Amino acid sequence: MESVFDKLWRLGPAPFVLKAIVVAIVADVLLLAFILLRRTRRKRYFAKRDARVFQFRQKWDALISGQIPFESWRKKPFDRRIVETIALDAFESAGPEESARLLKFLRASGLIEKRIYEARHHTGWRRLRALAALGRTRAPEGILALAEALRDGSEEARLAALRGLGSMACPRAAEEILAWVSEAGLVVPALPLQSALIQCCVERPRLLLPHLKVARGSLREVLGRVLGEVATPSMGLDLLQFVEDDMAELRAAAARALAHSQSGLALDVLSELVRDRIWFVRLRAIVSLGQLSDRRAKPALLRGLTDSHRMVRLRAAEALVGIDTEMADTFAQVLATRDRYGLHAYLTAVENADLLGKLGSDLEQSTSIGPEEKERLQNVLRSGSLGVPDKSALENVAKNAVVLP
Amino acid sequence: MIRFLEISNYTLFWYYLASNIAYLVMLLVAFKTSAAHQHRLESHRLAWIKESPLAPPITIIVPAHNEEASIRVEVRNLLELDYPELEIVVVNDGSDDGTLDEMRQEFRLRPVRSVYVASLKSAPVRGLYRSGVDARLLVIDKEPAGSKADAINAALNAATSPYVCIVDADSVLERDALLRIMVPVLADPKRVVAVGGIIRVLNGSEIAKGNLRRARLPRKSIEIIQVIEYLRAFLIGREAWSQGNMLMIISGAFGVFRTDLVRAVGGYRPNTIGEDFDLVARLHKHLLEKRAEYRIHFVPDPMCWTEVPSDLKSLSRQRARWQKGLLDVLWLTRGMLFRPRYGRIGFFALPYLWVFEFAAPVIEILGIATIILAAVLGVLSRAFFLQFLLFGYTFATVISIGSVLQEEITYKRYNDWQDVVRLVSYCFFEHFPYRQMHMFWRLQGIWQYLRGDHVWGTLKRKGMQSASVP
Repeated sequence: MESVFDKLWRLGPAPFVLKAIVVAIVADVLLLAFILLRRTRRKRYFAKRDARVFQFRQKWDALISGQIPFESWRKKPFDRRIVETIALDAFESAGPEESARLLKFLRASGLIEKRIYEARHHTGWRRLRALAALGRTRAPEGILALAEALRDGSEEARLAALRGLGSMACPRAAEEILAWVSEAGLVVPALPLQSALIQCCVERPRLLLPHLKVARGSLREVLGRVLGEVATPSMGLDLLQFVEDDMAELRAAAARALAHSQSGLALDVLSELVRDRIWFVRLRAIVSLGQLSDRRAKPALLRGLTDSHRMVRLRAAEALVGIDTEMADTFAQVLATRDRYGLHAYLTAVENADLLGKLGSDLEQSTSIGPEEKERLQNVLRSGSLGVPDKSALENVAKNAVVLP
Repeated sequence: MIRFLEISNYTLFWYYLASNIAYLVMLLVAFKTSAAHQHRLESHRLAWIKESPLAPPITIIVPAHNEEASIRVEVRNLLELDYPELEIVVVNDGSDDGTLDEMRQEFRLRPVRSVYVASLKSAPVRGLYRSGVDARLLVIDKEPAGSKADAINAALNAATSPYVCIVDADSVLERDALLRIMVPVLADPKRVVAVGGIIRVLNGSEIAKGNLRRARLPRKSIEIIQVIEYLRAFLIGREAWSQGNMLMIISGAFGVFRTDLVRAVGGYRPNTIGEDFDLVARLHKHLLEKRAEYRIHFVPDPMCWTEVPSDLKSLSRQRARWQKGLLDVLWLTRGMLFRPRYGRIGFFALPYLWVFEFAAPVIEILGIATIILAAVLGVLSRAFFLQFLLFGYTFATVISIGSVLQEEITYKRYNDWQDVVRLVSYCFFEHFPYRQMHMFWRLQGIWQYLRGDHVWGTLKRKGMQSASVP
């Protein structure tokens, strides 16, 4: 007797299509079966997992103190994963005492040893998972295994190791990262490297200085940016050497770092950097001047208010508003620049800080401004514009507007 | 005549086969890349971005035209997003309902004269307002200009961050969506210039205080079919195109762009219909002409939930508009076709869009017409006809179920068994008659465009009512 398949086969001259139909039907069935089986399996897995998590949480203190023998869960991968996850999650929010207790537990139970072994001997995703977990333990004995992974051929592994070292947040991890970038150069994207170094160098930012002196190209930029983030007030003089660096990124980093400096020189240097030819160096200098909160920075900030770059003007205005206690005088000085973009930026910053009312009353009560000038300032404050400028001023504004970034 | 009908039928068959094989290849690529993405996230903790001082500021731009039903919830949702430095610019694009009043009440808006340098063209701005509740919120009230592009340009003029994120006013972002969408940017800020996130269907889900509480499948058939379409388009199509750096569309409902580049290409084209596609196409053109090394990414996990049309009339208008937008941009970028300087965009991405997106309704409807004609004339091979129908149906179903599987394996937002069963069932029903109706709407779109009807058109929105708001 002829089979159904034979009947279908004889339907037409295109056996290829028929085969394709059969394949498609089989694929449909397989996909559906996979979805249903996976759902069922996951449902069971999560039910079992939830129950086990609940059990472990119930006896958590006994478990981490060792009252419950580690062997009872360590040899079962399912249980081990749960215990490790709970411990690492607890680690994230633990205070110093609890952290020490958890670290002791991770060491005693052999979990750290296991992760170190996996980080060294496994490959692929299992290795990445081990590297990430090792970083989360913040155990110093994991640093070497992580540092070895920095030299791995795979970028994913290098990144995982870098993030792991970053979460260690200690100078020893920073030393390993810096030693590695010194020999290998910038072989990972800049941001993860910056992030890791920032976390690790906070305690000892001076670690960066010798490497900055010898680094070249984009690695130097990265280290400069890190220095900008982590520099401390005591580093004031060390930073001055970068103020005249050829690399704009480094000048910007120096400007950023000088915000943390208490040296009297910082103000002068930043006021100089406000004139830099690169806009983001000027921007960093203006932001740092704002952070210094020193009223002597006012002339430099007023200069920033007339900058050709919009971001610089905005930040200068915010800084002026932030450091100011005598708003009426500052407002008069802003008007004296005759720069309508600067005025606009200043008024925006005043409005954003919700200080418009204060500026109005300061103007009203000011004794240092004559009545005529006071009225003019009040008019400008009300209208938000400088009034009718002369023709040449208008032409200048139009010319500037074309090139405004 | 008979010869013509034969050729037509076989052409349709090969076209269908090629289109499905292309999608099958994309499905396989998507399976592989999603798995890699999932593994990568295991070693990449989002909290690090959240705490990083290096996370670049983002300006979220929300164009809003007659969105009084959803604007409060939407803005509240945005203000609660996890991201270290945010600015939110809502543009009231000449609404004639109470959109602005809703925001005034909810966020205590006060007029400001914020810096607004009109470097990009847009309709006149009536006023700028800053929120008294949260200073990160700026509202621009402007004259209507009839296009979303114009509203976005106005917001771009006020944006002060190096990255802008465009979000639709009727969408809900998951709390960590910005952290997730910025992962590729932070990994490679010099090369990654734009990133698109996934858009999911909000209808039917539960919303609480502007946040998605529980994802549920909508009730109406027409909405469920759109769920499958969205899964297919994003989890398969965009994922695969992004792998080849040939992503041509970042959805207008949720995407991040480098502000300087958007300004460099002149912002959004005000009279465009498909402004999202248009911008990405111009970014590709601009960067390829400069021979820049760049990447435009798609990330499948930062989720944006959006309301989709729940009646046939609105859906037909939306799809016709999408087709008009497609044709509009394809026509404008025709100069990029097969030119070596535009590389894979000129040789693969654009030709694919011409052949399998633009021409699909024409070829399919013409094909159906010739099959019917052949049947009437008695020249149709019954075997061929049956085989063709069966093959087309089963193959297309594989792709649809594949996209549901992709969602199951990776993000698994529909936890209810009932939802999954319904979703899978609809994979078998969407090919008749919805697919044919869809083709007809797209054909209408082409016809409207050729007739010179370039109007955006309005869609009926239910606001957050399509999702349940406890």
